[in-house]
Amino acid sequence: MNRTLTIIVKRLGSLLVTLAVMSFIIFMLVEIMPGDVAQMILGQSATPEAVSALREARGLNDPVLQRYFRWVGGVVTGDLGDSIYMQGVSINSILWRRVGHSMVLALTAFLIFVPTSMFFGVLAGVKENKTTDSIVSFFGLATMALPEFVSGVFLITIFGVQLKWLPIVSVIPIGESLLSNLEILIMPALSVTFVMFGYISRMQRSSMIQVMHSDYVRAAVLKGMPRKYVIYRHALKNALLPTITIIGMNMGWLFGGLVVVETLFGFPGMGSLLMTAIKTRDVPLIEACVLLITVIFSLSTMFTDILYSYLNPRVRLQGGQK
Amino acid sequence: MKRKTLCVLLLVALFALPVFAGGSKETKSTEKVIRIAEQVPGLITPGVWDGQVFSMNSSMYEYLAEINADTGELDPVLATEWSTTDGRKWTFKLRQGVTFHDGSAFTSEDVKFTLERTQDPGLGHLKKQDFEVMQSIETPDDHTVIINLKDPRPTFIYQLTDYNMAILSSEYDYAKLGESKPMGTGPFKMSQYIPKESIAMVRNPSYWDPALPKLDKILIYFIGDIDASVSMLEADRVDVVNFLTPVIKSRLENIEGISVISPYQEQRFVAMNVDMEPWDDNRVRLAFKYAMDPQILAKSVTQMDLGKGAEYNETPIMNMLAEYKALPLRGRDLEKSRALLAEAGYPDGVEVELYYASDHPFGKELAQTLKELSAPAGFDLELKGFTRDVYLSQYWLNVPTSVTGWGGRIDPSMLLSLAFKGGGAWNESHFDNERVNTLIDKITGEIDEAKRLGYYHELQEIFYEEGALLNVQVPYLVGINDRVIGYKQPLTMLPQYKYTDIK
Repeated sequence: MNRTLTIIVKRLGSLLVTLAVMSFIIFMLVEIMPGDVAQMILGQSATPEAVSALREARGLNDPVLQRYFRWVGGVVTGDLGDSIYMQGVSINSILWRRVGHSMVLALTAFLIFVPTSMFFGVLAGVKENKTTDSIVSFFGLATMALPEFVSGVFLITIFGVQLKWLPIVSVIPIGESLLSNLEILIMPALSVTFVMFGYISRMQRSSMIQVMHSDYVRAAVLKGMPRKYVIYRHALKNALLPTITIIGMNMGWLFGGLVVVETLFGFPGMGSLLMTAIKTRDVPLIEACVLLITVIFSLSTMFTDILYSYLNPRVRLQGGQK
Repeated sequence: MKRKTLCVLLLVALFALPVFAGGSKETKSTEKVIRIAEQVPGLITPGVWDGQVFSMNSSMYEYLAEINADTGELDPVLATEWSTTDGRKWTFKLRQGVTFHDGSAFTSEDVKFTLERTQDPGLGHLKKQDFEVMQSIETPDDHTVIINLKDPRPTFIYQLTDYNMAILSSEYDYAKLGESKPMGTGPFKMSQYIPKESIAMVRNPSYWDPALPKLDKILIYFIGDIDASVSMLEADRVDVVNFLTPVIKSRLENIEGISVISPYQEQRFVAMNVDMEPWDDNRVRLAFKYAMDPQILAKSVTQMDLGKGAEYNETPIMNMLAEYKALPLRGRDLEKSRALLAEAGYPDGVEVELYYASDHPFGKELAQTLKELSAPAGFDLELKGFTRDVYLSQYWLNVPTSVTGWGGRIDPSMLLSLAFKGGGAWNESHFDNERVNTLIDKITGEIDEAKRLGYYHELQEIFYEEGALLNVQVPYLVGINDRVIGYKQPLTMLPQYKYTDIK
């Protein structure tokens, strides 16, 4: 347990370094983005004097480093600042509601795609080269090749327009909360599932095949143990390891992918907020969103590593042998 | 076995989701509610309001006067009457018994505050230039305002109908609250606002006209994607969607219970920069005009016939306005066009760049049609499309050819000195013609209406002969559920939901 703790501490350290570097990169990338918030506010009528007066008033004329440290200082103390575009509106007041929505959406997607893709991956692996395997593999490949905005449109056409089972747009009715409108999560979550299903089921299938061909499984089968028992007790546990890594690594991607899905379905989450922020050059809001995605990405990677080392004694012990 | 139980539980939970969700059915009530989908707003405080969310702000705020959507005349709102003798001194009588949503009374101080606010340098007020002509504002009593101008402005009243000139309360901190708690004297007031997501507004019980508004509630969803908004209209989740494209219009036309209307037209200016080759030669500009076929242009850009929703001319004045002079359409003459080009020194044709906002309705369609129509005459237009914000901030005003969207103005003089006078801040074509400059000055200052009309006509003739502009007028399209009656939206772009009702 001590070693796991060491790994966690080490990981947290490198996480902080990653975040520091990322915050600087994000800040600089947004800095060089074309367009300017003062110009956006003033629109077509902007005279150069008016633009510079407004830049001055909003503190945009300060040196880059000064602005960067002012921002980082705020972030560390939990103050993401005011939106530079919408004066008097604090980012905390917009962002967290949206993050909550996205979390629920990501969780729903997770609950759908993890069990289904693992189940079908294992099934395909066990039935290697049989019809079931071909069907699962084909379906996996097909959905993997379809981007969310295509599969999303398919889903909308089938379930929204034709069958009318689910709402076409995932908007929360005014005056109600997400919890009383859970049906709006299904289609966005399904279109994420479509993309993830391919990756995970294929990974699960190949690791299952590998394990099924290994000597110890063959030995277990040969000594007359029931096949079901061998699959559940011996093969599955080992075959799950690589899949867990893949799932963990894709959690960050999942949040990035929500930008597309949320925009397509009009879902009020962090992804669609990020889109809006980019459109209006609302720099502090863009930075807050992207930084948060970075945090989620790093945390999920760290969590995966820790989980992996916990599940796999070889990785866990390596640290001690050094 | 525990794991198995967990798996089963998870699966059950998953499939129970829709069941739970289905439990929350909308409650039927006798309330009259209208639901609207609008673009996600940028800034919403009047003064810096970037011209989206018209439904929201026009319901929350009011103006001294507004345009009657049916007649095009001025209707009194917060001012009951106004007068001027020389176009310099403007006297306004204000409506009595009006209160802001926070309960404070509306007085002449609020009008003064709103007008003076235009000149605040730290604000970036969008009407700053137009109101620089103000010399002083007097408030002799609570319900009278006198505005003294430096120069005569016989049509000054129209400036006060501009959407950024909503009357604000002098006692409210708009710098701090304008974006999060908007507040005015309008027929509806805010009840719940989630920035970038939605707003619910309820009937203002103390509205000065007891007969209005007719609706109890307005619910507005801010949806970034126009297709998502249209889907909501089709699925009966909203009643009104604006800023439709022609493609969406034809998609909606087949759906029962939904109509697409065009309350007014907008302009797309095709500007030829006379400071750059080849447009510095009027013969090239004429050659380009002779290559155009207005009928094809209208049909291809808007899918409507010329004169039936789409218009075309070569002057800054919209066809629908009283100041418009019906100059004859040129008719496409490719031979003449080629001859003019050759005469100007381009016998083998000429290459020129055309910049436009690709995400703005009709921008892409117009740019492509211009390219196709002018190609046989020898023009090789190189199309440069950018998103609207990049186009406006990086390229606009400094490129050889540009296509830009312009809202209409009931009083066209509001645009002239800004966009067509030499040195004007938005003069896209850099057109600097001495006769035009003098005429614009005369139009802005002339009190006699007949004389002013004469100047307008003269101005249009000059543009017809040597101007650097094509003015393509396209419909502004709104999709509406047939349940909605009395939807009104004049050229100021401000919908008047106080007159709207639900069947």
